[in-house]
Parts: sequence; structure tokens; C-alpha cells
Amino acid sequence: MEIYLPIAEQSMNVFVLFALGAAAGLLAGMFGVGGGFLATPMLIFVGIPPTVAVASQANQVIANSISSLQVQWRRGNVDLRMGLVLLLGGMLGSSAGVSLFTWLKRIGQIDFVIAVMYVLMLSSIGLLMLFESLRTYFRRRRDPTGPRGKLHTHYLVHRLPWKMRFYKSKLYISAFLPIGLGFVIGILSAILGVGGGFVLVPAMIYLLGMPTSVVIGTSNFQILFVAANVTFLQAVTNGTVDVVLALLLILGGVVGAPIGSRIAAKLPGVVLRGLMAVLVLGVAMQLLFELLRTPVSAYSLGVREVLP
Amino acid sequence: MRRAGTTLLKLLSPASGGGRKRVLRAAGAIAALLLSLVATAAAAQRVERPGPLPGPSLGGPADSSVPPSVPSAPTVPELIVDLSQARVSITSAFQGESLLLFGMFDPPGEIVVVVQGPPARETVMRKERFLGLWLNTGRQSFDDVPAYYFIAASAPLQRLLARGAGGEILSLEDRLSSIRPVRWRSSEELAKFRGGLVEVKRREDLYPAAFGQVTVQANRLFRAELPFPSRLPEGVYDVRAYLLREGKIVAAVSRPLPVGKVGFNAQLAGWSRQEGALYGLGAIVMALALGWLGGAVVRRL
Repeated sequence: MEIYLPIAEQSMNVFVLFALGAAAGLLAGMFGVGGGFLATPMLIFVGIPPTVAVASQANQVIANSISSLQVQWRRGNVDLRMGLVLLLGGMLGSSAGVSLFTWLKRIGQIDFVIAVMYVLMLSSIGLLMLFESLRTYFRRRRDPTGPRGKLHTHYLVHRLPWKMRFYKSKLYISAFLPIGLGFVIGILSAILGVGGGFVLVPAMIYLLGMPTSVVIGTSNFQILFVAANVTFLQAVTNGTVDVVLALLLILGGVVGAPIGSRIAAKLPGVVLRGLMAVLVLGVAMQLLFELLRTPVSAYSLGVREVLP
Repeated sequence: MRRAGTTLLKLLSPASGGGRKRVLRAAGAIAALLLSLVATAAAAQRVERPGPLPGPSLGGPADSSVPPSVPSAPTVPELIVDLSQARVSITSAFQGESLLLFGMFDPPGEIVVVVQGPPARETVMRKERFLGLWLNTGRQSFDDVPAYYFIAASAPLQRLLARGAGGEILSLEDRLSSIRPVRWRSSEELAKFRGGLVEVKRREDLYPAAFGQVTVQANRLFRAELPFPSRLPEGVYDVRAYLLREGKIVAAVSRPLPVGKVGFNAQLAGWSRQEGALYGLGAIVMALALGWLGGAVVRRL
């Protein structure tokens, strides 16, 4: 069954889009990340214009993070203070990101930048995760208890000014850190259409030193508002949010998420992270291959302008 | 995949407990939303009913207001043309469309049909390998590029055009030689970009590679299929039919063919273009509502 997407201006198979949404939801359920990093490249791969794919995927991220935030909020796993400071950076970053996106689109390099950023980000994160999970896996086999580390180590970044106390995260750090982190995630979110959870979550644990219990809830809180900001700004400046596309992705995600969390409950964490790393690396390889391969045609068309 | 399937079955089995009724209600709500979307799409399709046809404006000496009941009378038009649809409606189920053009002419003669999409500025971008990666390095804009171009003829077109009708009836190559480059380059560079433009348009079936066939019956009835692909730019297309005798145009009929989104699609595209802020807010609210509902359903399972 084909459906015509009014903003992408082409017809697509309903089930393909639904399945993509379900796959993203499955990942969200399994790994607690948005799944946008997989869905956006796949949307581009099936022929949706990258600009529409990114903007509509940002819309889907809203649905994903609100349903996850519901649970986290009720369990009290959201550090509101940290979330708001992150959000300050996130709002600035995503607004700057949408402007950057618009400019790149005008000079005709947006597709390339999207692909390159995906390759860089996914391959570095995938490799980090793969090494980390392999190390944990082999260490645990040798020594089941494992050595206990410090609560968190102190780096140079902890000497930055404008320190704030985050009670729920048990942290006393400079506000510049979460603001800067939020800013970077905001840019990623605007240009790649991802929530950025798979960058934000490790950064919150390893860089800020937040306790794992509040990380997921707080990152979801920040992602929700940043994704809403991106959706709004993309709709206003570029008009590239396709709600029919987003609706199908969201419905797919609603089906996929519970299946993902059931699978996650059955698999040990290390295996889960290893699987995720392999998946992330696979997507990165595929995108890199597309960049290196001689294209079918060297030519493409930009935006058609009807002059008055 | 099998594991996922069994999990889904388990989720749906009555064993999942007391919250099941509420779950079903919530699932029902989502299903209703989806159904309403499909229904709107179906309704949008039903909207498209050929309205009153605009009378053909005449490019030639003939007058079409006289009914064609007495073809031999001197006041009767030599060429009458009509389309199976007054417009191309882009509904939610649109996958491209084939329109039938049909008509009648006074023999002898040959028929040529030219369909042109609205002109616009197109920017052609060229990829080159840079440090091993392919990226857009060159761009060239052209004005007055037809969105769509299709020619059909009742005899081999080259033969018809060679005999002198070339001034008015243009092959795609001739038509594109008149598009205006926005920025000047060397003529061989321009020719390359022009070639690239045709290549992309051909791939999207907007410049069909093959000439269409105009089929003539009983020496005076003719018909031709006009193929429109799914990625069809909106606007008013121009459908023109020519009657040629000994290489000269003796009659021409032109009629506008509006192509546009209708119903739900037209509404959404209009909001997105004109009410970006409202559209954005709507998209956010939709995602919030569905995500909230979806999350609630998931937690009950």
C-alpha cells in the first residue's frame, strides 16, 4: 500500500515506513536510545530527501522521549536542575543547528554534511562501545566482582568557574559543562534529526560523572524539548516536517518499543551493548560506503524555484 | 524476528492481566487515528471528479465552439482535443497517473502532442571525488526549465519536424537549448550541466525518454497516453495538439492541465508553506499525544 507524503512530495510504501518506525522503537526499547540514528539514514536510503528525513525524524523523537519520560518522571529519575541547565545549552545549540542546516541546504552541501557527520559520530561511538563491552565481557569472566572505581575522577574541567550544585546527581560542577554538552547535542539534533541520547547518555556518565539512575530520565527530559524546538524551527524556516511520515514512524515506534524492552529484559547488558555497537558500526560502514562509491549519476537537482 | 513475534503474541495473550481492557481501549484509539487518516485519504481521492471542462483555447485557425457533428462543413474545426481528466489530482494514494488524450481531425494529416510542465529555475549540482569522497563541487542554475516535457506523434517525429514545423514544435533538445543559464560558463561546461539536468529528469520520468505514440483510427480519430510519474511538480501544465499537413501546422489546440495536491495533502502542504509556526506546533502536539498514549499502552502490558 502506497501513501503520498505531502511534504516529501513522493509516494512511499506504508509498511516500509511503519517497519522503520518499529525498528527505531525496538532499539529504543532495547537500548534506551531514540533509534533516530538508525531511522534517519534508512529514510534517506529508501529515497526520502535528507532534509525531510531529518526534520520529520525530529518530530518522531518527541513521541519517543515523552513515552519514556513518563516512566522516568514517575520514578523520580529526572534531575530537573541538571535537565534545565542542559536544556539552556540545548536550545541555543538546536537553534544554531537549524540555522546551520538552512545555510548548508542553500549552498547545496547538506546531504554531504549529514552523511559525513553520521559516519564520524557512529563509527567513533560504535568503536568505543565495542571496546568497552568486549573489555567488560572478558574482565568479568576473569573476575566476577571486578575492581571498584572511585565515584568519579576529577579532571581539568572541574576547575571551570560558575560552579553549581546538583543535589540529585550529587555533583558540584561548573554550569558551563552541561551547557556546552547541551549545545553540542542540540546541533547534532538539528542537523541529524536524532535525539542524541546515545551521545548524551555516555557523556553524562563519563564526562559529567552523573549517577546512572538519573541519566536516562534527565537525558529524555532535555531531548524532548530540544526535539520540539528542532521540529518547530524546521517547520518555520525550511518547511520540511512531513507529519504523515512522522505519524507512520511514531505508530511503528509504539509497536516496536515494548518488543524491544522484552528482548532487553532477556539479554545480559554486556551482550546488549555489544549488539548495539555492531549495529551502530554497521550503519556507519554503510554510510561510508555510500560516500566512497562512485554514484550512479554525478548530477542531482537542488530545490526547484518558481519565480514570480 | 521469531523471538520478536512470540513476544508480540505473549503481549496479546489474555495472561497479561487486568490492565488489558484499558490497553485495548488505548490501542483502539490509535487504530481509530490511523483509520481516520486512511479515510481522509480515501475521501481526498473521491473529491477528484472532473469538473466543467474549460473550453480549449485555440492556437490555430479552427473554431471549436461549433459542434463537430458535420465534419465536412467549412466552419467546422479541423482539430478537436479532449482529456480523460480535467486535472491531475495528487491524493494520498497518488502514484503517478496516465491520462488519455483523444480527439478528432480532418484528414489527411499527422498529429503531434506536446505536454509541458510549468517553467521554473532549476539548480543542477555536480559531484566530484574529493579526498576519496563524493561531494557536490559544481552548481549551475537555469531559468525557464520546464518541470515536465513529453512529446507524442502519429509518425516518426524526426520526419515530421524535418519538414519545417520545427519553429513551433520543439523536441526536448531544442526546448532545452533555450533555457537560460543564470551564470555564464564555457559552452562545453554548460552543455555538461544541461546533460546532467536531462539525466536527472529522465531518471524521475519527468522527461520520458521515449516519444509517445499517437494512435490514429479510421483516419480521423486519435488517442495518446500521457504518462505522469509520482514525483510530479505542481502547477498548470500546457497540453498542445498540432495537426500537420505536408510538414506545416494547419491547426493547433492548447489546453491547460492543472496538477495539484487535493484534500488532506493540499491542506497539509498549504499549512506547511503558509502557517509554518502553526504547522510546527501541530506536529509537536501530535507527537506528544501519540507518544504519551503509546507509552501508557506499553506500561500496561
